[in-house]
Amino acid sequence: MLAYIGRRALLALFTVWAISVLSFAIIQLPPGDYVTSYIAQMASMGSAVSDEEAQALRLQYGLGEPMYVQYLKWMNQIVRGNFGMSMEWRRPVIEVIGERLWLTVAVSVSALILTWALALPIGIYSAVRQYSAGDYIATFIGFIGLAVPNFLLALVLLYLGFVFFNANIGGLFSPELQDAPWGGAKVWDLLKHLPIPALILGLAGTAQQIRIMRANLLDELRKPYVVTARSKGLPERTVVLKYPVRVALNPFASTIGYTLPYIVSGSIIVSLVLGLPTVGPLLLKALIAQDMFLAGTIVLLLGVMTVAGTLISDILLVWIDPRIRLEDT
Amino acid sequence: MSQRRPWTRTLRSALTLILSGALLTAVVTAGALAQGGKTSLIGKLEGPEVVTDSAKWPKAFKEAPQLAELVKAGKLPPVAERIGQDPLVIKPLQAIGKYGGTWRAGFTGPADFWNGFRCCSGPDHLMFWDYTGDKVLPNLAKSLEMQDGGRAWLVHLRRGMKWSDGKPFTADDFVFWFEDIYRNKDLVPTPSAAMAINGKQGAIEKVDTYTVRFKFPESYFMFPDVLAGATDLAGQMWGYRALGGFAPAHYLKQFHPKYVSAAELDKKVKDEKFDSWVRLFLAKNDWARNPDLPVLSPWKTVTPINTPTWTLERNPYSVFVDTAGNQLPYLDRVVLTLAENLEVLNLRAIAGEYDYASRHVDLGKLPVFIENQQKGNYKVYLDPGDYCDLIIKFNLNYDADPEIGKWFNTADFRRALSLGIDRDQINETFWLGTATPGSVVPVDSNKYNPGPQYRKLWSTLDLKKANDMLDKIGLAKKDAEGYRLRADGKGRLRIEIMTLGGQFVQYTQISEMIREQWKKIGIDLKVQEVERSLALQRTANNEQQLGAWNNDGSEHLFTFPLHVFPYEVAAVATSGPHYAKWFHSAGTQGKEPEPRMKELMEKWKRAFGVPEKERIQLGKEVWKIAAEEVYIIGVVGQGPAAMGVRVVKNNLGNIPSRMYNSPDGKTPGISRPATFYWKN
Amino acid sequence: MARPETLLDPVPAPSPGEPVTPGDQRIFVASQWQLMWWRFRRHKVAVASAVVIAFFYMVVVGADFLAYADPNASEAQRSLMPPQRLHWFDGWRFAPYVHGVKGARDPQTFKRVYVADPEMKIPIRLFAEGFEYRLFGFIPTTRHLIGVDGGRDAAKTIFLLGTDVQGRDLWSRLMYGTRISLTIGLIGVAMSLVLGVILGGLSGFYGGILDTVIQRAIEILRSIPTIPLWMGLAAALPSDWTILQVYFAITIIISLLGWTELARVVRGRFLALREEDFVVSARLVGCSRRRTIFVHMVPSFMSHIIAATTLALPAMIVSETALSFLGLGLRPPAISWGVLLQQAQNVQTVAISPWLMLPALPVIVAVMAFNFLGDGLRDAADPYGR
Repeated sequence: MLAYIGRRALLALFTVWAISVLSFAIIQLPPGDYVTSYIAQMASMGSAVSDEEAQALRLQYGLGEPMYVQYLKWMNQIVRGNFGMSMEWRRPVIEVIGERLWLTVAVSVSALILTWALALPIGIYSAVRQYSAGDYIATFIGFIGLAVPNFLLALVLLYLGFVFFNANIGGLFSPELQDAPWGGAKVWDLLKHLPIPALILGLAGTAQQIRIMRANLLDELRKPYVVTARSKGLPERTVVLKYPVRVALNPFASTIGYTLPYIVSGSIIVSLVLGLPTVGPLLLKALIAQDMFLAGTIVLLLGVMTVAGTLISDILLVWIDPRIRLEDT
Repeated sequence: MSQRRPWTRTLRSALTLILSGALLTAVVTAGALAQGGKTSLIGKLEGPEVVTDSAKWPKAFKEAPQLAELVKAGKLPPVAERIGQDPLVIKPLQAIGKYGGTWRAGFTGPADFWNGFRCCSGPDHLMFWDYTGDKVLPNLAKSLEMQDGGRAWLVHLRRGMKWSDGKPFTADDFVFWFEDIYRNKDLVPTPSAAMAINGKQGAIEKVDTYTVRFKFPESYFMFPDVLAGATDLAGQMWGYRALGGFAPAHYLKQFHPKYVSAAELDKKVKDEKFDSWVRLFLAKNDWARNPDLPVLSPWKTVTPINTPTWTLERNPYSVFVDTAGNQLPYLDRVVLTLAENLEVLNLRAIAGEYDYASRHVDLGKLPVFIENQQKGNYKVYLDPGDYCDLIIKFNLNYDADPEIGKWFNTADFRRALSLGIDRDQINETFWLGTATPGSVVPVDSNKYNPGPQYRKLWSTLDLKKANDMLDKIGLAKKDAEGYRLRADGKGRLRIEIMTLGGQFVQYTQISEMIREQWKKIGIDLKVQEVERSLALQRTANNEQQLGAWNNDGSEHLFTFPLHVFPYEVAAVATSGPHYAKWFHSAGTQGKEPEPRMKELMEKWKRAFGVPEKERIQLGKEVWKIAAEEVYIIGVVGQGPAAMGVRVVKNNLGNIPSRMYNSPDGKTPGISRPATFYWKN
Repeated sequence: MARPETLLDPVPAPSPGEPVTPGDQRIFVASQWQLMWWRFRRHKVAVASAVVIAFFYMVVVGADFLAYADPNASEAQRSLMPPQRLHWFDGWRFAPYVHGVKGARDPQTFKRVYVADPEMKIPIRLFAEGFEYRLFGFIPTTRHLIGVDGGRDAAKTIFLLGTDVQGRDLWSRLMYGTRISLTIGLIGVAMSLVLGVILGGLSGFYGGILDTVIQRAIEILRSIPTIPLWMGLAAALPSDWTILQVYFAITIIISLLGWTELARVVRGRFLALREEDFVVSARLVGCSRRRTIFVHMVPSFMSHIIAATTLALPAMIVSETALSFLGLGLRPPAISWGVLLQQAQNVQTVAISPWLMLPALPVIVAVMAFNFLGDGLRDAADPYGR
């Protein structure tokens, strides 16, 4: 077991390194750099940046150097815990991300809870009553979230919220509490603003989770012990809920590790439409402005979260179900 | 809408009839009338006035209650001491206001710094425009005195005026800026064109504590306009680029290598996690980012622009006062909340979450704004600009495809394309009928407008004439689909327009419409929407053919010439990078323009060194050539697309019914937001 | 990578408790595809979905025939016209018609107001003349399924789903959008399939180092958020490409990121099948390796691929709309569902011209249909699941 974990951890470390190289390369892919984007921004506002000034800026930001040198410098900084300075925000990257990270987690976790609250019962129901009208209806509801373009849904909900409930437009806080220090009132305010984003984000993942639950449970229901239990005259409810659902839940629960980062990166568009102060819109803007360190750090962060999540899931899975270890080795 | 004139009322009742289904044709008439740009949403141009006659200045001063408290507690000197002997007196538009309250608005991120500059910087120019945007008046400077036939300008500062930290604002702040900032190559790699006349740099010298002299090698009659306009000498907003004409010497010296040891400076750079002292210095001199920076504006930044709310609070040392002696501003603070998505920002404005908003407000949503006026407790105003809202630039230096370059340099080709645009369609669709179709020339009342006949010159829809002209210049042959063929036999003549998304004007969608219209004159247009950096790169590589943009700012021909002739080397839409280079290098680099363009450029340049009367004449001639040669197609103008839709709470006072909408006037800065106040 | 195949690729099971009918000889002699078809038929929603999808692809083929107006023809005087009411009967006679409409901008509200003229009836004709196009890409014609007399006369046109801000007919634009969006999905999936099958197959069949390398690559690709990947790749496209080139490039981008799922499914099937009794017995009776793979393994594996492909399609469709939303996907003048939705993504549409959001409907229907079809296929794909 320990050897297995060690091997997986080593592999994960390698993956993280590969991600750091790849994310750095991706950010460099679009033509130009932050200075180009800065000049363009100035030009579109009617003021000019001369070639000499651009040259000086590139020098100050260290953008003139070859890509691998820039990468090594970046890595060198990161290893020492310094994620660099955001060019656009002119603040340390960690500060810019920091305040948004917790809100991102709050939104994602609430979306995750909603997903499970929907997916579990639907999944169980549609496995037990395969091909019944109820199965179709339940799956249909589950799939709606997958099918509706979530950016449009978000905008419509935003507008309806204003028309019918006079809700605050977008964001996660009322304007009065935006800058207030954390406390009971602010947490309550946050909770009040969470349902709509959680609903939109949660719906999108529900279909996938329904599928997993349904499939796992169908697998279990075929097993002899279920037949035995049934033949012993146990009530159907007990037959299903006592063991098969539990067993089906095991691998399901272990998905938590990588579901969270998926929700985070899947939430970028919705966060943008809803004006949520999460890392998603930040990443998008950083990419457009070619704010290298900021974009790079966020991509890396999400990558590390996914890798770590997958690792945890896999270890959990092996721990729960030793059969898998055999298969993988 | 209380001042609705009778004709609109008739129209409205007519419309009610029509809606009941009776008079269909009347709807069309009503629509046509509405297209004339006459709507009750556009009011009379008005605004506060600066009192320049010192005899009329108030002798005693009053202050906001919270400042009075501080004075009482001994934490602040008395108000008269803070303001000094020479206040900057502004006569509010409607009434003397009351102190207190917050102004809520939105901003889109750290790149949106113009947002705060426009509303809250005062403006802090030495000279500034009156509310008509036409006349230059003293602002932070008490007066400006011409010497030596325009070769020197004496700036008289206000005695006893202070920075927001209480330190005096004197000639030393100018000298420091000029000697230690402007002439430091690390901070300012390229000298500013505003500090030069005919390419020759000027200098700043101290006369006495409250007098500064700007000296130039040649006559610089345009200097007052340059100080008033949005140029490099226009106050502290340019500090982030080490420009602006002055800077708080007492504060900034601690970050300058001339005044602190290398080791000490190095430590400061490291402590604040910057890469170099230059970045540190620029960050410290940034009006929007550094709450510690002493400023001269009515409000000062408290929480900087790179946080979720950009908050500004009253400057206790503000030199601005009203005619009753109340220190301005009336409003305690300005809170700009981050809205990274424009739809969210607009919806917040629609919902009445903002007290005053015009920046980023989308004209296309006008009906939604009007519909929600009652619910949001606000009123919608339209402030049409004096400029052209949509222009199409020909890149006269396009050489990647010589055939296309040749046509772009053929005047009749450009004119024909202009005649092929159905401007009424574009006006109705994208400006909701609020703009005026026409050429590039500014509004008729502009002092440089060459005459009303130039509005329609080469800028009406005339398909027959356009087709005839294109036939005549050698593009008569067409393919099976009716598109004209290239003269060099390489197939269809395809031209491309480059557009940017996410701007105030929907360039891509409009270009699509023009593409459909140009089909009728056999021109195949390809619309290419690109991202901003890419646009810049393409213009820099001279790969752009046509570019769509607006020429807001061109109403001030001499301080904002970007979209009149090839002026910028780096632009998101260019009319000729080689010509621009030629112009700026005084003919040593780039490419020499054709005679008419050269004439235009020379006239524009000459205007800086001649007295105003002559300059106006030159300005008219510049516009005349621009309209005749159609280097730039004007499509529709005098519309409210750029910051011209204004949403203001009903109980906010001293709001003009129409304000001068111009980047040079820093609208709404030109209406002096320091005089806005809450009526109850 | 233990998680994927056990979780995402379930082996469907018969409903528990139902007695097996051993007397049914048909089952034992039926070919695998017959078995699949019988099983598939039981999933009624999947069957219905298949019909819906067939219908969608009919639109793809006949988009220009079904459209009655040039999708790019703009006209300010019919900007933002709401959908017209269709009258089926003229008196007692079945003769569909719409009323002529006149409009202007209300100078007070700035909305465009349209009033139907009850006197003016515009009959709708079948196989009417309209704009010129090439049917199936090569038959030049001007006939359209429906239309009005006199072709493109501006005063007498129909706007069944209303118009957009530029006065372009939404119905016709929707037809063209369907064509592009559904083909882009198909091409994208086809390419993902090729990549996925080759890489997944190699990985599953050979195992060892190759397997590890491919599995790592998949993990890395899946760990990077898609949006930066899209942005990086889309921004790297040469800017002077034509719409067609960009169209293909975007399909490639979508598929480059979409193959990982398919590769995992393929690998999973390979691994699972290797140990299946029938494969083992095939080997034991002396079948060659090639014969084992192509005669015994691939058929059962094919059905899974089809199912996985069907399930990958909706993701492609959704990706296309998301890319357009970000301004990275297809751009006007190209018309796709994503482009149409992107143009509806504003407050004024939601508030005053909600019909412009109609293109969301086909997206929802298509995504749902593909999902149900895919589920049905997957349930049917297991040959011994009954």
